[in-house]
Amino acid sequence: MGGPAYDCLTNPLGAVRFSFVNALSSGYDPASSVGKDWGVVDLFRHYFSDESAISQVPVLDSSSIKWVQPKTLVRFRGMIQDMLGNEFYAGAYKDDTTWRTNKYSDVSQFPEGSSTEMKVWERRLLYCVPVPGQNQWTECSSQELKNRFLDLTGQNREKRVRVDEEMTDSIDSNALEAGLNGSPFKKMKVGEATSSASESQVPQSSGIPPATSTESLPCLVKMYDSPESDLKLNDVVEFLGVLTFDPIVMMDTDSLDENSDDLSEAESVQMPSGKVPRLHCLIHRKLETQHFLRGSSLLPEPKSPQIFKEIRESLMKYLTGLLGNDHIASQFLLLHLLSKVHGRVDNVAVGKLSLNLIHLNKESMSIFGTQLSDALKSLLPFTQSIPLTIEYLNTASLGPKKDYRINRLMPGVLQIADGTHLILDETELQPGTLNSVGVENANLLKNLLECQKVEYDFQYYKMEMATDVQMLIFSEGKSNIMPADLVLPFQPSQVNSLEVITPETAEAWRCYLATCKSLPHSIGQELQQVVENDLVAARQTDRSLGSQDLSRLLTMARMMSVSYGETTLSLEHWQMVLELERLRKERLK
Amino acid sequence: MASDSSPGNTNDGPSSPGENVSSPIENTYSSPAALHRRRRGRSSTPTQFATPPPPPTRLASSNSTPPTSRPSAARSNGRNGRGGGGGGGGGDPGTPLSTDEPLPSSDDGEDDGADDTTPTFVWGTNISVQDVKSAIEMFVKHFREARENSEDLFREGKYMVSIRKVIEIEGEWIDVDAFDVFDYDPDLYNKMVRYPLEVLAIFDIVLMDIVSTINRLFEKHVQVRIFNLRTSTSMRNLNPSDIEKMISLKGMIIRSSSIIPEIREAVFRCLVCGYFSDPIIVDRGKISEPPTCLKQECMAKNSMTIVHNRCRFADKQIVRLQETPDEIPEGGTPHTVSLLLHDKLVDNGKPGDRIEVTGIYRAMTVRVGPAHRTVKSVFKTYIDCLHIKKASKLRMSAEDPMDVDNSLRRVNEDVELDEEKLRKFQELSKQPDIYERLSRSLAPNIWELDDVKKGLLCQLFGGNALNLASGANFRGDINILLVGDPGTSKSQLLQYIHKLSPRGIYTSGRGSSAVGLTAYVAKDPETGETVLESGALVLSDRGICCIDEFDKMSDSARSMLHEVMEQQTVSIAKAGIIASLNARTSVLACANPSGSRYNPRLSVIENIHLPPTLLSRFDLIYLILDKPDEQTDRRLAKHIVALHFENAESAQEEAIDITTLTTYVSYARKNIHPKLSDEAAEELTRGYVEMRKAGKFAGSSKKVITATPRQIESLIRLSEALARMRFSEWVEKHDVDEAFRLLRVAMQQSATDHATGTIDMDLINTGVSASERMRRDTFVSSIRDIALEKMQIGGSSMRLSELLEELKKHGGNINTEIHLHDVRKAVATLSSEGFLVVEGDRIKRV
Repeated sequence: MGGPAYDCLTNPLGAVRFSFVNALSSGYDPASSVGKDWGVVDLFRHYFSDESAISQVPVLDSSSIKWVQPKTLVRFRGMIQDMLGNEFYAGAYKDDTTWRTNKYSDVSQFPEGSSTEMKVWERRLLYCVPVPGQNQWTECSSQELKNRFLDLTGQNREKRVRVDEEMTDSIDSNALEAGLNGSPFKKMKVGEATSSASESQVPQSSGIPPATSTESLPCLVKMYDSPESDLKLNDVVEFLGVLTFDPIVMMDTDSLDENSDDLSEAESVQMPSGKVPRLHCLIHRKLETQHFLRGSSLLPEPKSPQIFKEIRESLMKYLTGLLGNDHIASQFLLLHLLSKVHGRVDNVAVGKLSLNLIHLNKESMSIFGTQLSDALKSLLPFTQSIPLTIEYLNTASLGPKKDYRINRLMPGVLQIADGTHLILDETELQPGTLNSVGVENANLLKNLLECQKVEYDFQYYKMEMATDVQMLIFSEGKSNIMPADLVLPFQPSQVNSLEVITPETAEAWRCYLATCKSLPHSIGQELQQVVENDLVAARQTDRSLGSQDLSRLLTMARMMSVSYGETTLSLEHWQMVLELERLRKERLK
Repeated sequence: MASDSSPGNTNDGPSSPGENVSSPIENTYSSPAALHRRRRGRSSTPTQFATPPPPPTRLASSNSTPPTSRPSAARSNGRNGRGGGGGGGGGDPGTPLSTDEPLPSSDDGEDDGADDTTPTFVWGTNISVQDVKSAIEMFVKHFREARENSEDLFREGKYMVSIRKVIEIEGEWIDVDAFDVFDYDPDLYNKMVRYPLEVLAIFDIVLMDIVSTINRLFEKHVQVRIFNLRTSTSMRNLNPSDIEKMISLKGMIIRSSSIIPEIREAVFRCLVCGYFSDPIIVDRGKISEPPTCLKQECMAKNSMTIVHNRCRFADKQIVRLQETPDEIPEGGTPHTVSLLLHDKLVDNGKPGDRIEVTGIYRAMTVRVGPAHRTVKSVFKTYIDCLHIKKASKLRMSAEDPMDVDNSLRRVNEDVELDEEKLRKFQELSKQPDIYERLSRSLAPNIWELDDVKKGLLCQLFGGNALNLASGANFRGDINILLVGDPGTSKSQLLQYIHKLSPRGIYTSGRGSSAVGLTAYVAKDPETGETVLESGALVLSDRGICCIDEFDKMSDSARSMLHEVMEQQTVSIAKAGIIASLNARTSVLACANPSGSRYNPRLSVIENIHLPPTLLSRFDLIYLILDKPDEQTDRRLAKHIVALHFENAESAQEEAIDITTLTTYVSYARKNIHPKLSDEAAEELTRGYVEMRKAGKFAGSSKKVITATPRQIESLIRLSEALARMRFSEWVEKHDVDEAFRLLRVAMQQSATDHATGTIDMDLINTGVSASERMRRDTFVSSIRDIALEKMQIGGSSMRLSELLEELKKHGGNINTEIHLHDVRKAVATLSSEGFLVVEGDRIKRV
């Protein structure tokens, strides 16, 4: 692609324009193109084809927003929380005789009235939030980038301003300057701290609860040229694109009259770009756990079972320690951590393995529960925990709900990304009356456990969304409200002090878990026969075994097998599972 | 207009969005004349087409106040409906005439002017205005529906008739079926869809012409409303090329604004001299207040003030339409689009309604701020509505007026059936093996249990409820009880039905409090197990209430069921008021035997400890016994292994998928109300009598009841349900035969007296079979004999075990095994007769 006549990092729009000019000269016709890509995507893909180039791009989050510059390239990692539909924009216009484009920018740059022809193109709006329950270790530190960046801008500030001005000659230069100082964002942060300040600015925004915490930064991503089926709700995606903000945010909002509010997508009203930055996405990719790992790579393929075995052993030791030397519990915990839904037939989600540890009370919960949830936080990318109390169930909004007043999907606690780990703590639950909200919430949780589906409330109808959540339940007795796949009495023998783990070990374990989860799995012809026979035999001896129990055994077998880095089930692992199950049954008696 | 991308054109007028915003003042460009105006203009003088592009103005200026009826006051009222659309000042830029040309305002008349000019074209196209006009005239005057052409060749065309009608009732619009337009003149149809603004304007002119020829004095504006386009767009597929096109799409109203009065004409009064100005018409969303008094003598400055009650306003409403659930792809959220309604269309639908809209898709620029010149490069889109059709009321038909609880309706009940789906269903219902197919599609991954599934199918479809004038009600709901061993996938069946049924509630008997919307969390003090106690029955009105672990239900909740299952109401006493709530629900319950396994030696009632009174209210009682069968187990194992290691779709051969099944069921429930044919009625009677007679066979001494009137009601319900499955309005003989078979199968399992092998309804009705009763009688008499023989009145007592020994020795007429509890029962009978006294373990004669 073209030479470095532009800097993809700091002047992406320049690159876009450059390639547009190139494309025009080679016969690209904006009048009939409907805004189809003219090579920009390839250009950027090429430029960011390897991980190291990508890591040069600052990640947009609540801290970096203070220093990143608008109109530069940034990354945003988040979950698609809502889809706001399509937006039509003036994509290309003719400036005298040459075509110009507005693609990847918010504000039309032509002096109005001077253009003779204009084409309307469309783009998709996605409202993204940081992944709920995202753990600290997944965040990439942008510190060094920041320093570098500040250096750069510090030195070249004057120059940059001039350059930018040239590029965007038509824009009100006051606004531009304001933007360049980074002030709108900074101000907004300050404003948020003193919550009243922001309210006056945006009267309606108070209706939208902050995504999860005050620190999280949502982002409005504008997608170009991507098929609709490509991205789904709740996908975790990394977007790479141009950061923009509207200089107009500071406009008086009160003068907007009612009618125009009603007609507009209201997005500008509810989500002033001061609060929600806009990202014009150039390229994107779906994120898997490995993308959060430092090395960004999975363990080598199963060629080296030894490595798997070693890491497995050390992890098992750690988990056993956490669980007060309860070996069986730690075995089950490991299997549980490796579970994921890998198929759906009717209402059956194949591969889920929820675990209910029982015989926990408030006291033991405070020891083991906390330790465990801390440990999981350091091992898994996304974790959440829900305290099951009457008050919580009666008041929380677990299921996402559409608010038609502002035409937005209000996030619920259960709108979470696939692969999230969810701890339900039932030890605090006391007898009491659930109101209708509580009943609804309890049903949502139960449905999630049984079918791995969450009902989204669109008021006039409900829609079920498939999710994939690992659920761990702590309770005193078997929870009938939350019927888990596995019920295991927890029998710790001692309390261990928390072992300090080195970052390297933690990284290795994370990597191990991510790798195992992603392994494919199959079964040999012979073993299939063995398994079948065993299942039949099991049912002959215990008639109370239902298909769910048998199915669970197979799920466990799969997890057991992948935990050793194997992709086919072996007899040994199958027998280990049967043995584990026997031990569990024994405990239950 | 430049073909597809209309926005393009707009620009070329000076009108680029920007300026509308910034300064409406620059008249030089005619800019955002409301299209209304444009229309007006056009209507009056088609000439204007000639030059200027009045391309639809999608760029409506940001002025939010839309339609500005321009010059021709007279017409302005009705018209703006569509044109003015929110945009208000559309780009409609360069129509020179608009501003500068004097617009002839009188309605009629000037159309003729068109003729003398050279052919005029719709701007940017080769569509000749005259051609279109004459095509429309031809259509309106001569279109006749196909069927009427033979006899009444000389009658007026369809639309002439409706024009006359409109004049008569002083209506304001004429609905025109787009199919008719297409049939008559496909070319006109295409032009209309592609250039709706222009063509509709001409259409209106033509209409007005015709109206005025019929009735010169008719003053109202008659507009055309097109509906029923040939193609319907999905909301998701709207794209820039649809802008300014006529489209039609379906959706659900989710929100509607209040009615916004929109000013059309303003009247000002001079504060100094009291002079009233002529009505001033909205221009580009603004009304300019005259700076000076218009009266020559006064000329006072800044003295004009608006007189509100002499201004004219029109209704406007903004409605948001959302995709219906079936159009949303997996992992997406529904799209929405705004609709702009005017005048008569206002309040035509309310949130929750499903409608089909015909309108013009438009876009307008977003003004950055009222005081800003800059315009965002973004457009707001909306649909300027021409016509709204509410979706068919299919689903409401079967509801009675008491049904106010729309909010509770679940999705599947709302599913609309379009023609195509309906046809598919009809086709499906005609299949000879529909019954088998349906039952196969029910819980396809649970095997065997074919008859149980058929029974459940009947329950889903249900019989006809009957309300006699006398006040007697016969329920149409079929209640089913499944009794069986643990691990026989009863619960899964329940879950499945719950998912399928229109408004199902799934609850566990362990703490169903039957009523109430709240639930109680209970904790077992010993084990710490938690349970949710929820009320279920009221919530499942007109649905199926699935009760798992029926046997564990508390007695109070169960007693409530008596009422529910026969009267179909629930009574609640609260604060001294007894409320009777409808609970027209079918009950599907499943129960585990009280012992861990079903004991075939005992009766159903003994096995599940349910009161016989309740049991008899179930139409079908199935015993699902787990016979240790390796073959079945192997199949299960195979299936599960496949589920995990292959793409386990294999299990479901040609089963009907669950959504189709649900809609099929709810459609049948709503629309099919089969009646008994004579033949079927005869068969019913004959079968019933036969069943009654069957009891006599076992020996005349025992009176075995093999059928009760309850059964015949059940049979009717079952056969109605069977007919429903075929969408048949008549219950045929074979339905009755099948109903008998189902009943027999169910009864054979549950009501068979194991001692004799015959069906005995007493088992269900009283819990004791006739043979058992006889056995007990003999027992009692032999104990009496023994007692008479061995004991004196007031003499020594006798241990029960001794008595048992005696009985065994005695043998004689007792041929079966004797248990201690049998003896106890018999002794209890004797003591109640006053023959014996029981003292702990011993008995004494008195």
